[in-house]
Amino acid sequence: MFKIFLEHQWKEFWRGRNKAGSLAAKIFMMIIVAYFLLLALGLGFFMKQILKDVFPGTEPIQSFNGVILYYFLADFLMRIQLQELPTLSIQPYLTINIRKKVLINFLNGKALMSFFNVAPLIVFLPFCLTTIASSLGAMATLGYIVTICSLILFNNFLLVYTKRKANDNLALLAGGLVTVLVLGALDYFKIISISALSNLLFQKIAQYPFLALIFTGMALLVYRINTKFLYSNLFLEEMTKKEAVKTATDYPFLNRFGEVGQLAALELKLILRHKRSKSAIMMSFAFVLYGFFFYKPEFIAEDRFAMMMFAAIFMTGIFQIAYGQYMFAWQSAHFDGLMANRINYKNFIRAKFLLFTIAATLVTMLTMFYGIMSWKLIVLHLVIYLYNIGFGAVIVLFFANYNKKRLDLSKGGTFNWQGVGATQWILGIPLIALPFLIYLPFGMNNQPFWGLIAIGLFGLITLSLRELWVNLLTKLFSKQRYSIAEGFRE
Amino acid sequence: MLLEVQNLKKNYGNRTVVNIPSLGINQGEAVGLVGNNGAGKTTLFRMILDLIRPTEGKVLSNGEDVSKSDQWKAYTGSFVDEGFVIDYLTPEEYFDFIGQINHLSRAAIQEQLNKFAEVFNDEILKKGKYIRDLSKGNKNKVGIAASLLANPQLLILDEPFANLDPTTQIRLKKLIREYKAHDVTMFISSHDLNHVTEVCDRIVILEKGVVVKDLITSQDTLKELESYFAA
Repeated sequence: MFKIFLEHQWKEFWRGRNKAGSLAAKIFMMIIVAYFLLLALGLGFFMKQILKDVFPGTEPIQSFNGVILYYFLADFLMRIQLQELPTLSIQPYLTINIRKKVLINFLNGKALMSFFNVAPLIVFLPFCLTTIASSLGAMATLGYIVTICSLILFNNFLLVYTKRKANDNLALLAGGLVTVLVLGALDYFKIISISALSNLLFQKIAQYPFLALIFTGMALLVYRINTKFLYSNLFLEEMTKKEAVKTATDYPFLNRFGEVGQLAALELKLILRHKRSKSAIMMSFAFVLYGFFFYKPEFIAEDRFAMMMFAAIFMTGIFQIAYGQYMFAWQSAHFDGLMANRINYKNFIRAKFLLFTIAATLVTMLTMFYGIMSWKLIVLHLVIYLYNIGFGAVIVLFFANYNKKRLDLSKGGTFNWQGVGATQWILGIPLIALPFLIYLPFGMNNQPFWGLIAIGLFGLITLSLRELWVNLLTKLFSKQRYSIAEGFRE
Repeated sequence: MLLEVQNLKKNYGNRTVVNIPSLGINQGEAVGLVGNNGAGKTTLFRMILDLIRPTEGKVLSNGEDVSKSDQWKAYTGSFVDEGFVIDYLTPEEYFDFIGQINHLSRAAIQEQLNKFAEVFNDEILKKGKYIRDLSKGNKNKVGIAASLLANPQLLILDEPFANLDPTTQIRLKKLIREYKAHDVTMFISSHDLNHVTEVCDRIVILEKGVVVKDLITSQDTLKELESYFAA
């Protein structure tokens, strides 16, 4: 049965509308994964040496113990952003003679096929099998291995469950994210020590290897919870909850922009009235905390903006990346209607710009709290803001013209996770690379502030040319719209 | 001639789905389009609405190529399928939106909607629901009403009677006739031979993308259509 599912998915991929695009994305991802696997391999085999160098004067085993829990904490954080959920267009299989258990096992099994489940094995096992085996014995090694494998499974299914559930329950995702961040912060400010905890834990496991089974139990528990959740969400149509009365909403602020404002208001409603888009946006807001990881005091003191630019672009441009790449696809369900109606394409494009500008302005204002750390960050964010609304939006809209894959917002969220994961960030690359390139010559010549001014100027100039971009994009759109519409109809 | 199809052809691969050398619709004429599944009715409508690019030929609306100019959108109302309605809006919001882009005042929108009171049968307005939560038939009603909202000169409807209950079908027929009396030009497809002969002055039969018959409606038309499709 699994073979048939895989076969169907294989066909779905190769016969899909956006084949070239998704193929390029897949290949790109494979290269990245290969690179990181290689890194993991190096890390795994030279673990002993690396630990000695990084933590001089501490026993390698002790530092190793300290690192493990850290790794899995970071691992979970990474998974939230990057791990893609397995999808299966479940509808057609539900009414035919296939047991639900088979469908669920397939989804669970496929979730395991992830880089994140392989990497820790490569990183940790070599050290376990050599150093730990020779100094602590076979039983202890077994304890280590069982614990590590259990932690992998625990993280995997916890992530899968959290992400699925997040579609209905954003608070859960936010809660998970905040918990991990708070733990990290507590450790950072030395209020608790994760490494000490981790060390203690693995010392106990080395002493009493059967303790590892506690983790196996935890992994089994989340697996069960996840499976149960899938079971209860497999029905053809969800029992509709008692729904609140829907009222007409008006955004007076947008009215002053005429037709452009009406189109922007339309899209704003789209975002707010679908779980899928809402969670995409809410997830983005979680990223405004990113700066705390990247803005190191020494970077700020030494004006090393190149080190901080990534976070700045990411935080202020996240809406454009997360939402913008499906710019037209969000509207795929009623794209025909929009095209057949009396809507000026130029205004259609302008509305997208307006939406980007509003979103970027809001997020940038939100990130102003980094001003507590330094006024330089405010300058950095403002400059990047200009870039984002000036040229970033153009890049995003350009690529949106080549996305012809229908995005079905009406389908239940649990199985509808296309493009929420690593692939989603590919579009971010040109967006992020460009300001770096502008900054680079100034940064290398030790003129960091001139670099910022250059980015800001670039942003301002491109912003003042907006009508030109609108015209160019309208032209492109007029040409592309037939094939976009055709793709969206499928 | 309000609508004119010239040498229109659409190929998918080496399959020709529409091939119409010439077809014209005069101002004020109501033309019905019938044909079995896969005859190319919807594809033809989509080409008329500039949603699909023809392989060859063109569609002229008021003498202008629909793919070259947007003029036709000002006087054309259309509803082809659910993809025409924006389903996450409430019906009120949707009508407002369509009204606004056609520069109608709130009062004018309301006036238009009043004409639909019978067809809506109190199931559409002030229900506190998004369009996506309405039944299929009710979604259709919203789409048809929206297509007529801006008082179009040209009306394109693909199977407007599908999914509607018998009462609504009869009411809708009556309404369409009222618009026809006001000189609205219509191009309407239907699988219901009865309805289409009742509403339209002229019936075009499409088979495998080709116009095989073009009849002026008379007392015998229904019989003729029935015998054609029975064969």
